[in-house]
Amino acid sequence: MIIIDTSTGEKHLVNILPVEVDEFNTLRKDRYFFDWKTEKNQEVYKLQLTGSSDILGLKSIERIPQEWRIHIRLLTVSKENKGNDKKYDKITGNLIVHVAKIAIREFGELACVSLRPKSQIAQHYIDKYNMNITGMTLSIEVPEIIDLINSYDYD
Amino acid sequence: MTENRSNIMDTEYGIDSKYKSDKERESDATALMEARLRRMKNLSKDQITKAKLLQLKLKMEEYIRYPVYDDHNYFSNFLKLYIDSIYSKRSTFAKDINVTPVSLSQVINNHREPKEEFIKKLMIHSEKIYKNVCEFHKKTWYQVYFHEKICDTMSNQEHWRPEIEKNVRISKAI
Repeated sequence: MIIIDTSTGEKHLVNILPVEVDEFNTLRKDRYFFDWKTEKNQEVYKLQLTGSSDILGLKSIERIPQEWRIHIRLLTVSKENKGNDKKYDKITGNLIVHVAKIAIREFGELACVSLRPKSQIAQHYIDKYNMNITGMTLSIEVPEIIDLINSYDYD
Repeated sequence: MTENRSNIMDTEYGIDSKYKSDKERESDATALMEARLRRMKNLSKDQITKAKLLQLKLKMEEYIRYPVYDDHNYFSNFLKLYIDSIYSKRSTFAKDINVTPVSLSQVINNHREPKEEFIKKLMIHSEKIYKNVCEFHKKTWYQVYFHEKICDTMSNQEHWRPEIEKNVRISKAI
């Protein structure tokens, strides 16, 4: 998985790993927008450049096996990667694709990744990640989920 | 523009999509499941096969990354999943890679080790099959096979070690 330095166009390898318990204290709201300590008991992952310990993105997920679904509870990029002046591009996409891979691995052709963004930003996720909308919930399933995974794996 | 307003306008800064109540969760789940079941009915056989093959690839990669020290037969189980995802009869796969159905069955049922030629054929077969599904590394089957060998050997030392150790001596200590 790679992210792109927006100033140079360079591609950088990234790792997505579980957040360690003692790291939650370092996840400040002024850099990561949400209170991540409330997610301590959830499955939380961090995105880092390979070889770096700096966290560029975070997500918290909930596995719902009885529905063959994984719900994204919380997701963010770090402050310097937000907006038009962001340092790296594709952080959010990589975080979503990582969940998509877990969903496919666990549930195969029944896999589903869902999220429930504010209505103002839902259209962005529909357009960019080819998600379906059901009420307030956005979701991605087979076949679109495979295309999404492949579009990031072939980078 | 306030910070909150600017955050909403910047679509990718983050999402808080935690359910606010059990009621909200349940009603969303019901509606989503109904919509998904409708969409699932339209999935083609080809799309289902591709999903199964991607699932298998991700399972194998997970096993390679985090080998499990237990007595499961990972190679043969993955092989079964691979064949059954593509073929309705295992004998057709045997024919496609020019082995007898009996020898294939013996490998699948752990009655015989796969020969190196068998794994090479499997590697080539997978390359061709996965070409239109997703990226698939040539070495994946080999990695699964050898990871399992290593894990088995390390976790079964109490069985093989006493006998083997009798035949090992150090004539020149360091």
